[in-house]
Amino acid sequence: MRTRFLVGVGLLTLMGTGWAESAAQALPAQAVAALEIFQPRAVLGPLLEPATRTALAATPALQRSTSKPGYQQFLGVVQALETQLGADWPTALQKLTGRGVALGLYPQERALFVADAEDAPLLGKLHALLWNMTQNQAALSGKPSPATSLPLGGAMAYSLGKNEAHVIQGGRLTWAKKLEDLEAAAQALRQNGSLATAPAYQAARKAVSADAAGMLFLNMQALKLAPGVAKAFKPESGNPLGALIFAGLGETAGAANWIALGLHVKPHGLELRLVSDAPVPAAQSPAAFALPTAPTEGALPNLKVPRQLAALSLYRDLHRFYAAKDQLFPERTSGLIFFENMMGIFFSGRDLTDDVMAQAQPNVRFVAAQQQFDPAAGTPVYQLPAFAIVLQLRHPEKFREYVEEAWQKAIGLASFTRGQRAEPGFILDRALHGGVPFTFARFSTAYAKDPARLDVRYNFRPALAMPGNQLIFASTDGVARDVMDALAREGQQPQAPLAQIHGVLELEGGKVAAALRANRDFMVRQNMLKGGEVKSNEEQIDGLIGLADFIRTARLTTGAQGAKLDVDFNWPPPAAKLASTP
Amino acid sequence: MADADKAALDPQWAWARYAPDARRPWTLALTGHLFRRAAFGASWPQLQRALAEGPQKTLDGLLRPTADVAAFNQQFDHYETPPGDDRNAAELRAWWLQRMLRTPHPLHEKMTLFWSGHCAASNARADSAPAMQRHLQLLRRHALGDYRALLAGLVRDTALFATHNAKANRKAQPNPGLPRWLLEAHLGAAAAPDLNEAARAFTGWFIYNDELRFIEREHDAGAKKIFGRTGNFDGDEVARLVLEQPAAAATLVRKLYRWLISETAAPAEELLAPLVAAYAQNYDTLALVETMLRSNLFFSPAAYRQRVKNPVEYALVIIMGLESSAATQPLANALANLGQNLLSPPTSKGWSGGRDWLNPATVAGRLKLAEALLRDGPFIESSNPAAVAQKNGQPAAAFFAQLYLQDETLARGDSDARRAAFAALSQPEFQLA
Repeated sequence: MRTRFLVGVGLLTLMGTGWAESAAQALPAQAVAALEIFQPRAVLGPLLEPATRTALAATPALQRSTSKPGYQQFLGVVQALETQLGADWPTALQKLTGRGVALGLYPQERALFVADAEDAPLLGKLHALLWNMTQNQAALSGKPSPATSLPLGGAMAYSLGKNEAHVIQGGRLTWAKKLEDLEAAAQALRQNGSLATAPAYQAARKAVSADAAGMLFLNMQALKLAPGVAKAFKPESGNPLGALIFAGLGETAGAANWIALGLHVKPHGLELRLVSDAPVPAAQSPAAFALPTAPTEGALPNLKVPRQLAALSLYRDLHRFYAAKDQLFPERTSGLIFFENMMGIFFSGRDLTDDVMAQAQPNVRFVAAQQQFDPAAGTPVYQLPAFAIVLQLRHPEKFREYVEEAWQKAIGLASFTRGQRAEPGFILDRALHGGVPFTFARFSTAYAKDPARLDVRYNFRPALAMPGNQLIFASTDGVARDVMDALAREGQQPQAPLAQIHGVLELEGGKVAAALRANRDFMVRQNMLKGGEVKSNEEQIDGLIGLADFIRTARLTTGAQGAKLDVDFNWPPPAAKLASTP
Repeated sequence: MADADKAALDPQWAWARYAPDARRPWTLALTGHLFRRAAFGASWPQLQRALAEGPQKTLDGLLRPTADVAAFNQQFDHYETPPGDDRNAAELRAWWLQRMLRTPHPLHEKMTLFWSGHCAASNARADSAPAMQRHLQLLRRHALGDYRALLAGLVRDTALFATHNAKANRKAQPNPGLPRWLLEAHLGAAAAPDLNEAARAFTGWFIYNDELRFIEREHDAGAKKIFGRTGNFDGDEVARLVLEQPAAAATLVRKLYRWLISETAAPAEELLAPLVAAYAQNYDTLALVETMLRSNLFFSPAAYRQRVKNPVEYALVIIMGLESSAATQPLANALANLGQNLLSPPTSKGWSGGRDWLNPATVAGRLKLAEALLRDGPFIESSNPAAVAQKNGQPAAAFFAQLYLQDETLARGDSDARRAAFAALSQPEFQLA
């Protein structure tokens, strides 16, 4: 009894006394991860708008849920609660959480949820209603009531069932799965203090800035104790492509004591800022190939092409990257011997690192765009996006023909290999665009049986173009032409690099949705082979398309100081599109 | 007199419709037997419904389901789009297994599987997923139909020509590949004179770009003497002549007897005679299958557990019992490791079946697969034997013994559902269909 009294005092002291500025004050300091919403109204408001609710209610997944027999029963309970509380559920939800909510995750799958209500009497009323409902239901069924309570000092902790326990102190609700978890939390608070006062949490709170509506906090020191997590941050776990694209992120996570993701709500949009206490990688670190050397250096702005789905611009010194391969992905280097041998063939015995990679400036740009097919020529049964990679050459006049030769060898080898299997090969062609001669390869449609359902290979017309000092590898001649136009426009109005930014990814949700929609059947059939009913697979894919439609644009920038994700939504969600089944 | 003896002597009794009586009641064991042979197993509710409805009504549903089979096939045909210029039939195998698991007409897929073994078309030789897909569609289209129509399609089927090394059938060098299959698969043997003449009839057919093409100038238009008849026969006419031979219907009935009734004892000619006579009239496969499945013989000890489950049956019976869906790409690979690589049978005679399915390695492999199907993993994302037992309100050991063996006396294991299910699947009886 004495222990419980002390525990209760701890809870009272740290949960209930003096209105906390932060719901995280009720979470013990040892959280492995925590999510805190400082401004619940800012986050919940847009979600609870009538237009949003209407749109969400029209989604196939929600419609399926609401058509189940249990839903009417659930609705009845909600309506009864609304009547008893004197408020509709969106209003009640906002009043019950208005001063902040926090969720903390702890070892051994323990979790604590804290909500600070604006309307403390409403919280008490809700508790009393649920308590009475549980008691009455048990009485009606002739079974013993699962509801129990436990004195915790001056407070009472309650449990309404096997996996529910809560304590209410003033306007603060603290919830856990078990009463023992509440007791343990109070003891931890008493012994080690709260998360809100932990130096790492406070530093993170400061770093995500005061106007953040919420924050996800990761205690990296605790997380790295898990063997799987620790292994993930070791360099040998990486693969070359991952090391190239996510350069520095692994090192940052590995060196950080904490990582925080700040949530900022904007009109019809969200901004997420990733910050950590990790130091900037040293200039001699293997990850330094992604670090702009001069203060004004950085990734170039993304290219803009018609029907663009996504664009990525990276600051990457490919020569330094490949020279550091033994540090970046040591377990993969033996596997790269084949790759190097092939490159040796294509580039006529030149050294891949010093003679080939060193020819590229540290700017790598990538675009992906929807394709346009001429129905007269034929349309593939699955329509893949076209993509292009753009590099800048240091010595184009010298290197241009080496690249052309290597590329033609690769296309010839592909054709020969296909020919060995009695499959059609490429036809090499030469064209002129904006005064720039370029090479592309295509499959003949003379073999096509049904022009409306061409094979997947007809998505590819690989092209190589080298306007000025630019080098374009493209999956189709169409996107190669669009990229040449974009580069010509850029040449007329040169743009400065994005200082100290080493990666920019931009997505256009509507275009991505259209690309997904064009391949809906393909994705459904892949899911069907994994099991599940046809209808649920179709709904899953339609949900994904709906989500892409919901996003207008997304922009992720990464730099030495952290990362930032800006997402603009089509608000309210486009109900018609979400509900549609093509 | 024991039923087996009676069957051997009395075809009339053997093929008469089974009507349960006090001596031969309709039991859970017989419902399990029926679903193992005419389907790919059943869930517990299906077994219970069949037990309540009786054998003939259950058979009505299995032979001519009231569910919208056409809509199901239309939906699957829509998603099972041509695999492009892919040479790998892995996806096609996975799709076929999905059909077997989900179809409202499992007997149809079961017969498609039977004809697949009969034809033995193999992607290992055809090297063309589109050709294999067309082959499979052909088998499915006629699986329970007129066998003459199926054979007419088969002698124009790219996959079958490729499988039997008949990609080129030149006038100057007639290729005996396809005619050999035609004669051996239907008449049991291919006599040299008939085979050589039949090979001449098939000249002119070539495979180019995964398509079968007839080149007139390469066709031997001269007279051929086959089965004692002379004429300017082509491949289609040879197929027709084969089916006119008395041995053809007998061979097919015997194969089907082995598939549906028993592979342990060769049936007497007299026993099969009524079925052979009827089948030779119009090659109506559904009628033949119906006679066999509704018969006294089918529900007698002469048929009960007289077959070894092939790997497909082995796995699907487990999955059906778990009332679960499954990822069929890894499953198809696992079945190939157990000796049944769908769409790639090992020889031009298909799978020999019977005891050949079992050897120390495959028995161990079967148990490993069973164990994997009972837990979350690559085959079933969320496998929950406990939930199945609980839903049906029975203690785990007794439940799984009844579900998979239809015999409570074979209940082993404890209250742990996974262990109890595995105990049932480990019994030697579960290896039998």
